[in-house]
Amino acid sequence: MGYRYLAGVNEALNDWFAREILVHEAALVRYLSRTWPNRDEIHDLRQETYIRVYEAAQKALPYAAKSFLFTTARHLMADRLRRGRIVSMEAVGDLDTLNVPIAEASPEQRLNARQELMQLARAFSILPPKCREVVWLRRVDELSQKEVASRLSISEKTVESHVMKGTRLLADALFSRKTRNKQTDGNEAIDIEEDSAHGQQAD
Amino acid sequence: MDSRQIEELASQWLARRDGADWSDGNQAELQAWLNRSTAHLVAFVRLEAAWKQAKRLKALSNGVPPGEVPAPEQWQLTRFFDKGGMIEQRPRSPARGQGRLLMRVAASVLLAVVGAIVWYVSAVRPDHSTPVGGVASVPMSDGSKVTLNTDSQIRIAVTETERGVELQRGEAFFEVAKDPSRPFVVTAGGKRVIAVGTAFSVRRNGNDVQVAITEGRVRIEDANERQPVKGGVDEKLLTLAAGSVARATDDGVLVQDKPVPEIESDLSWRTGYLIFRDVALADAVAEFNRYTDRKLVIDDPAVATIRLSGKFRSTQFDAFVRLLEQGFPVRAERADDRIVLVSSRHPQ
Repeated sequence: MGYRYLAGVNEALNDWFAREILVHEAALVRYLSRTWPNRDEIHDLRQETYIRVYEAAQKALPYAAKSFLFTTARHLMADRLRRGRIVSMEAVGDLDTLNVPIAEASPEQRLNARQELMQLARAFSILPPKCREVVWLRRVDELSQKEVASRLSISEKTVESHVMKGTRLLADALFSRKTRNKQTDGNEAIDIEEDSAHGQQAD
Repeated sequence: MDSRQIEELASQWLARRDGADWSDGNQAELQAWLNRSTAHLVAFVRLEAAWKQAKRLKALSNGVPPGEVPAPEQWQLTRFFDKGGMIEQRPRSPARGQGRLLMRVAASVLLAVVGAIVWYVSAVRPDHSTPVGGVASVPMSDGSKVTLNTDSQIRIAVTETERGVELQRGEAFFEVAKDPSRPFVVTAGGKRVIAVGTAFSVRRNGNDVQVAITEGRVRIEDANERQPVKGGVDEKLLTLAAGSVARATDDGVLVQDKPVPEIESDLSWRTGYLIFRDVALADAVAEFNRYTDRKLVIDDPAVATIRLSGKFRSTQFDAFVRLLEQGFPVRAERADDRIVLVSSRHPQ
């Protein structure tokens, strides 16, 4: 049949998640990094926070999405502390320091359309060269992966791996590293370039 | 598995789906992988959101010839964003112009071929329907998407000049891909609902048609006369913007303005929920009955006028009845084919 039942994948919920939760990823990561001593675990904490938020939202959408997100992150860290996983209490201080600063949890101004485009342009421009070409041809010119492969004289498998990497780098650039503060933009961009340098694949 | 490995796998799924030979079997595998854990789901949703956003790079492609990728230095933000957000147009060289012409010819040949295939496919299998209690998503060849509610049926007919959907029964939500050259036309109960790039629902009950718009604009016409249905002197009345809910009957049209979030929540059936805000129980029950063959019947005027609010799974009919019994002076008498609601205060 030409359609699929919407069993596991819930498009409206996913849209909500992107619109109300993922937009706060940079702030969330800042909060987690400031609070949690072990940098290696930030990615995992972030995803675990998303899991909890998503599962809660499947039952009922929280009204104040952003403060719900931060409260969830705080509870998660508190749970991990209690279970004695990895860190000692001394490392983090007591649980009170996990309190989310008011400013962080307050609703913040949404980016306007132009700022969103700037952010997208910035994210795109820091992709590694081949990856950037693939993303452009695929998304803007809407060539198929096959057409992109023949245009760039690379294998379809390589195109696919560029798409893989492209999605991850774009997500990091758009959600994690995005800042609304001009002064920090330069640093954040360098951060990503370092990341993408060793993520680069040979053709 | 740690979260980075999951992210890697999610990107692999996304890249594979983005490729050419993606079958229904692959889709089922992906679905199974996503259903296995929320960790998979959130990783995938996050990457997919970024990948979707990347499509908006098109807004920056003005002045960049097709097939050419702008170099990083061309992405100095000032270049694109200097003049109050205006995007600078780069003059095209004549050679490129010729290339474009060729591309256009090639593209139109391709379009004709694709059109023929689309026509063939939709001529062979144009009908889609859902059973009572079902919700289904139907992707269309032009990139639009139709979400069918319970007990609904559509027929799709996409041609070179028009993207047509006939709503034969029930209710559907349309997310229309932008294509100004081919209007998107929904016919239902003798009305034509016409959109260009927008999102709206159409619900049909005999010849009565309800249209709710969450995005963009749509126009409603009489299907036979090809002119706006009678609804007053002002023709603009029948071009409806986001936030409008129109009820069109054979006698005329009633338009109501609602906040878009409220319409969205009225359309929560798309996610399997029914949301009620201070409605009479009789109306809530009528909604529920669309999703089940075992009908709820109210046999007591005192019960019918009870007002309630809440969010319920449209298919979890029994849970709804239990909640009613717990929260209101209502008793349910269960028979095989129906459930009768009576007041528990004064037994009859």
